[in-house]
Amino acid sequence: MKIATSVLAAALLSATAAWAGDPGVSDTEIKIGDVNIMTGPAAFVGRGVSLGSKIAAAEINAAGGINDRKIKILTEDDGYIPSRSFQALTKLLDEDGIFALNGTSGTANVLAMMPLITENNLPTVVTTAPSALIYKPVRPSVFTFGASYSDAFYAQLKYIHDHSEPNNPVYGVIRQDDDFGQEVEAGYERAVKEFGVKDGIRLRFKKGTSNFAAEMAQMKQAGVNVLANGGIFAGAANILSEARKLDMNLQSADVWSEGIPASAKLAAPAGYDYTVGDYVALSGPAVEKFLAMAKAFTTADELAGVSRYTFVTYVGLKSLAHAMRECGKELTRACTIEKLRQTKNLDTGGLSAPVSYDNPQQLAGTEVAVYQLHAKDVTFHELVGFKKY
Amino acid sequence: MRTGHYKESVGGLIALSDSKAVWAWTVVLLAALVAAPFLVGAYSLTLMVSALIAVIGAVGLNLLTGTTGLISLGQAGFLAVGAYTNAILLTDYHMPVWVGLPAAGIAGALVSIVVGIPSLRLKGLYLAITTLAFAFIINHIILYAEHVTHGPNGVFVTGAKLFGFGLQRGPALYYLALTLAVATIFAALNLLRTRVGRAWIAIRDHDIAARVMGIDLVRYKLLAFVVSSFIVAVAGALLSLQIRFVNIDVFALILSIEALAIIILGGLGSVAGAVLGAVFLSYLPEAIRLVLSAVIDPASPLYANYVYEIRGIANGLVIVLFLRFKPDGLIGFWRDARKYWSNWPLAY
Amino acid sequence: MDFLALLVSTGLVSGAAYGLIAMGFALIYKSTGVVNFAQGELVMLTAYVSFSLANALGLSFIPLLIVTIPIAMAIGLALERLIIRPMLGEPVFSIVMATVGLAVILRGIVVLIWGSEPLNFPAGLPTKVISIVGVPFYPAQLCLLGALALVTFCAWLFLRFTRLGMAMRAVAANETAALLMGVSVDRIHAAAWMLSAAIAAIAGMLFAINFKLAPDMWFQGLKSFPAVILGGLDSVIGASLAGLIIGVIENLAQGYLGEGMREIAGFVVIIVVLMVRPYGLFGSVDIERV
Repeated sequence: MKIATSVLAAALLSATAAWAGDPGVSDTEIKIGDVNIMTGPAAFVGRGVSLGSKIAAAEINAAGGINDRKIKILTEDDGYIPSRSFQALTKLLDEDGIFALNGTSGTANVLAMMPLITENNLPTVVTTAPSALIYKPVRPSVFTFGASYSDAFYAQLKYIHDHSEPNNPVYGVIRQDDDFGQEVEAGYERAVKEFGVKDGIRLRFKKGTSNFAAEMAQMKQAGVNVLANGGIFAGAANILSEARKLDMNLQSADVWSEGIPASAKLAAPAGYDYTVGDYVALSGPAVEKFLAMAKAFTTADELAGVSRYTFVTYVGLKSLAHAMRECGKELTRACTIEKLRQTKNLDTGGLSAPVSYDNPQQLAGTEVAVYQLHAKDVTFHELVGFKKY
Repeated sequence: MRTGHYKESVGGLIALSDSKAVWAWTVVLLAALVAAPFLVGAYSLTLMVSALIAVIGAVGLNLLTGTTGLISLGQAGFLAVGAYTNAILLTDYHMPVWVGLPAAGIAGALVSIVVGIPSLRLKGLYLAITTLAFAFIINHIILYAEHVTHGPNGVFVTGAKLFGFGLQRGPALYYLALTLAVATIFAALNLLRTRVGRAWIAIRDHDIAARVMGIDLVRYKLLAFVVSSFIVAVAGALLSLQIRFVNIDVFALILSIEALAIIILGGLGSVAGAVLGAVFLSYLPEAIRLVLSAVIDPASPLYANYVYEIRGIANGLVIVLFLRFKPDGLIGFWRDARKYWSNWPLAY
Repeated sequence: MDFLALLVSTGLVSGAAYGLIAMGFALIYKSTGVVNFAQGELVMLTAYVSFSLANALGLSFIPLLIVTIPIAMAIGLALERLIIRPMLGEPVFSIVMATVGLAVILRGIVVLIWGSEPLNFPAGLPTKVISIVGVPFYPAQLCLLGALALVTFCAWLFLRFTRLGMAMRAVAANETAALLMGVSVDRIHAAAWMLSAAIAAIAGMLFAINFKLAPDMWFQGLKSFPAVILGGLDSVIGASLAGLIIGVIENLAQGYLGEGMREIAGFVVIIVVLMVRPYGLFGSVDIERV
């Protein structure tokens, strides 16, 4: 009897000792954090992002969870302000005790949280802001999923160059005056140098601009007919609307933010069949399958808010869950990070190229697919499947 | 509570307070603040550091707006100047923190001279608009002076150390912020008791009469601007130490408006009011979050979809209600309580 | 098309938007001495309200305008009664800060009701490009210019020839004397807010049709400040003309200087104006200088 109790006691002790270390993990649940833009003018982006985590968690939990543990998503608002992201993550770490982070907002926001992430060795999957600033230098616990804006634009311009270039091509780029805009211009520069075409004009504008009259007048003056449109949402729509007014014959390569229904509705009236380069699918069987699956876990309102922002966090959480599952019952941050590093060719059901973090920068999903908008019925069609550029 | 004052010497007249009770309570408060890191969790400590930074900024702005009557909407710009100076010196030039902080203050003071000189002859509202314009221009300059400020990429603050203690999170940063806050409050209180302070109050109350009495308006207004900007820039530098990444997104215009809201809510013209206002507005989002989660069930879709907007509206509502019903500000509550206690059972 | 002509024409269009918003500012300042920091948010709110009306009732442009304006006036009256009127007697600074608080509330309400996505608002205006003297315009842009001209003319008539307008000018000149002369200052304040809200509705609708309908429209209020200052804080006509001037200056700065100059061109103008001629081009010359 004594031996039995001592063996039992030893077994119990060793079992509890296994995950006494890392916060956010208990017998029954794993807490995953999400710091997002829930308020402010960009809130529709943040809600789409949060939806991705929510759908992925619901799907995984419905299938039994991860080794009998259910995922719980904890969302905090940062309103796109970096200092608030820092505060939100502090709260998630100290008060709520999250295990990992999936779901972030902008580049500056992730960078503001970086000191906390590195200090706590917090497994983090960055899917909405795949900027080079995040993985150069690479942080041990940070995994980035997504192609750079530079690759996305290069892919689109390459398609235009190969298939529909006008007779006297003059290329032009208009982009925001920040790091995101720099990447857009980098992709543009690469394309223009490689194709040897005329670099008509490069313009910058301040974030939030809605009046592009002067810029488009300059574009018209330079004779641009292939445009790298670095505007987002209403800005991109205004750029195209201004171009239509000036009767410019343009092929426009746009940011992936123009692939969401709201942006397409805004921009379609200008009548340009612009292209979009993205590292997740915008249309096709994979999207249909996702929507059918998501119906069970969302309300009708939420389902209407599903966009490419939902897909990226969905893929992010799936890859995180995959690694956590590999760790078995003894789930620790160190083990999760190890397993994430070993992730190779994880299938995402066609929503993106297979996910492989097994490279020095812990970067996956760099393959870009090119889609084109049919302005008449506001739908997207695939031009080129996922490819590395 | 005191009902009257009986002073026998000049020293007694100009002392900060001759009441033993006041000093005793101050010591108790300071002791509690010093012991705080051992009593509260890390998240609460972060909130307290944010509140202390807000206190420093509010005291600085109060010297300008509350005491001298010069309304400034450019505080976000001066915060940015202080934060960027500190960040650049620490990261790019590897200077220690005790060089970075004063340098940030001096940078703020220099910029304020540039901003102040064109606008000093204007009154009230026009000055507010000029400072607003300068805030925009400073933002623009930071964005386009890439070789110095890294433009849109922002600056990381790494390796900040003071007396061998790393200033990343935790008690070290808290004590630094606490020391600076206490120093600022004492400096402000003392400044207000000197001729400079009295000149500022005179300028606020009636500047033409002040001029007639021999107070050089340009000199004292500029001094108010410079001192206030120095303090606000130091607050900005502390902010950069706390969040360890500066970028122009951090210093949106809304900060200037929040700063004004702080000193008005606290009570215009009073240092204690500025402190109260800063602490109140720093904790307001948390308080609203607690109230809302008690009233509305967190699992309901109403909460999940709209909680953030409701919090935002609640913030604005608090400001409007305070202005409507308690224009004296928070310090007005204290003054009312004191008057009531002193005069009871009489009304006045 | 001539580059310069393009810049000037589009500058006039964006300037017209500034001018309309600035007129709202000036009207309230003129009558009550308060700078209404919630003007941008009022523009945004009335634009969203007209969007909902357009969707619910399927109206085209002119009928929509006719329906929106009274509703906007009601909103303006409600805000004045709820927020400003109870604070009568407080220092102006406090009332201005109350408008700041009001601005925060209105922003939250807009996102609460309409969500944060940018929306399309054609309002039944044709989208075919019209060419005038070789310069292309959208009909919506011509409407904006026309609206500015019309509102300016009406404002001039109103202030010059109607009793209410003259009463407003009296209150602006000397409130106590106006009271003594039997002017109901209380009614004037309410009227100022109502008319300002009506102008804001026109500004909001046309801005939303031309540029965007999104919850960050309130920023246009801030960007219209240079127009208010240049025109003179208490000159309604001046604000409208100054808006056009600022719009053109901004565009020219961006077109010929680049580097984001459009954003700060307006504010540089403010600083120059305040140093040289603080009461603006048309304002009354009583700013105190010490």
